Amino acid sequence: MVSLLRNQKVRNALLQALYVGSLAATVLACVMIARRNLAEQGITSGFDFLFKSTGWDVNFSLLPATANDPNWWFFLIGIVNTLFLGTTGLVLATIVGTIVGLARTSSNELARLLGRTYVDIFRNIPLILQVFFWYALITHLPTPRAAHEAFGMLLTSRGLYVPVPNVGGTALAAAMLAVIAAIAFPVWLGRTPRLNQPFGERSTIQLASAAGALACAAILLAVGRLPDLPLLDFPALQGLNLKGGLRIPPEFSALAGAIAIYGGSYIAEIVRGGFKAVGKGQMEAALSLGLSPWRVFTQVRLPLALRAMLPILANQYVWLMKATTMGIAVGFTDFFMIVALTINHSGQTLEVIGILMAGFLAINLSLAAVFNRINKAIALKGNQLRG
Amino acid sequence: MDSTLPSGPAVHIEGLDKHYGSFHALRKINLSVDRGEKIVICGPSGSGKSTLIRCINRLEQHDGGRIAVLGTELNDDVGNIDGIGREVGMVFQHFNLFPHMTVLENCMIAPVIVRKRPRAEAETTARRFLEKVRIPEQAMKFPSQLSGGQQQRVAIARALCMQPQIMLFDEPTSTLDPEMIAEVLDVMVTLASEGMTMICVTHEMGFARRVADRVIFMDAGEIVEEAPPEAFFTSSRNERTRQFLSQVLGH
Repeated sequence: MVSLLRNQKVRNALLQALYVGSLAATVLACVMIARRNLAEQGITSGFDFLFKSTGWDVNFSLLPATANDPNWWFFLIGIVNTLFLGTTGLVLATIVGTIVGLARTSSNELARLLGRTYVDIFRNIPLILQVFFWYALITHLPTPRAAHEAFGMLLTSRGLYVPVPNVGGTALAAAMLAVIAAIAFPVWLGRTPRLNQPFGERSTIQLASAAGALACAAILLAVGRLPDLPLLDFPALQGLNLKGGLRIPPEFSALAGAIAIYGGSYIAEIVRGGFKAVGKGQMEAALSLGLSPWRVFTQVRLPLALRAMLPILANQYVWLMKATTMGIAVGFTDFFMIVALTINHSGQTLEVIGILMAGFLAINLSLAAVFNRINKAIALKGNQLRG
Repeated sequence: MDSTLPSGPAVHIEGLDKHYGSFHALRKINLSVDRGEKIVICGPSGSGKSTLIRCINRLEQHDGGRIAVLGTELNDDVGNIDGIGREVGMVFQHFNLFPHMTVLENCMIAPVIVRKRPRAEAETTARRFLEKVRIPEQAMKFPSQLSGGQQQRVAIARALCMQPQIMLFDEPTSTLDPEMIAEVLDVMVTLASEGMTMICVTHEMGFARRVADRVIFMDAGEIVEEAPPEAFFTSSRNERTRQFLSQVLGH
């Protein structure tokens, strides 16, 4: 027996069993305590509440919503809102981050200073303060009657009113798909082995396919436009209110703006780091081969910098996606706010928090999976110890 | 050599000066390299040898004196610089291959983008030069899958694919193991025998003796001595040259 305890394998197995056993006991204890407390308060657990109508309404939804809709539909609305806000925020943050990051690596001293000031300011102010700031700013814009106008858009305290095309829903959706295809198809082309060439004729085929898809989008819009109406529906003042166009509520603008500006300052640092990671030697080699500075950038510097940035960028995107939960601070019905409201109304705290966790896990694991795929596909081959 | 080219030296340098801040890297350099001539530049580290050849293809900008390459002066005229870049190939100490492209693509990128050659033609040329540096079988690999010597030979092939008239070598063997040094030097000797104009910064004195028309010794930003290899190694007059040679050849 003593000699058995001295055996390394037996010891490891015992320790492992002890660890698993205590973990299981802890979980079991938590569940039992929760069940007793719930029973004392007269709350029955379970997921029946999902199919009961909510009795309350949301202020922003991309899907049709009424107070009679069941709770599960509202969760879906919340997830769609979170994805919409998150995607908008990520795209804008990436644009801001790229511009600021490039400014920080620029040879122009003024550009570097501006970039650095931007990062220092916006990276060091808590996100929630920035959300409140933009929300306060937008809600203090003039009333509809004194709206600021720019490019057919109206800036008011009730939100941003943008023109929308007077096109049937199906045609509009198809045109959007065509635009997505115009971006996705050339990217896919670039990955097919026969055409997998980093420069030269492939770009011509890609450009042609992108142009083709965009032309399809234009035709769809022309065919699907509603008769007897102008192509674009501009918002305009009618009486005391604004008619026409699409209203982007202040809550959404404030959140998307804050995520873009705050996230942009982090992404700027990632972009800067990525460009710094590219060896000077590779750029000199490209220059010495007679490539123009622009070609050196597009063929050598950018592709290598992107490879250095992607893993960190994925991390940042997952972070920013979770930052959409700031919605509750200004009353934007994102997934988290819907979860909080549902807890208040149904009392099913544990179940709803479980749904919240599952929802964010699903969103962020998918995001991470996509980035891992891209990362793997473009990873440099072989041992990278040598420059 | 093509008879339509302007006559005169391949590289002509007159009173060249270069500063890095307060550091005086090159002092009043005069050097003329004829077409087809092979020059070896040696000297202790920090003596300005790399800076000198980097000025010839404009990786560094000089701040005094004149440099003319193939009869065209290097100045702030962007057109001149672009034209010269294509005619001067360079091989670096650290190879500097593009890690995200295959060996073949490394050799094709400049002909396709800069010389606007069709891909098929560029590929044929690239394969021919990979054959020449004796690694045709590595064409579809990525640079980091090759040994140092193989990478440097790819770098030479990449530069040759632009069919330059002048080749600059910046310590091409100083990071390589001994057996790899031999394979790179072999390629350079072949190139020299075919009449390429070559300016090599190197401490391979055997190579200098065998190939160079002139050996140049630099110290503290100046050309201290300039002589045919035999005279350079056996009867150099300068104290600093003799000291340097005893250090390089001493072992």
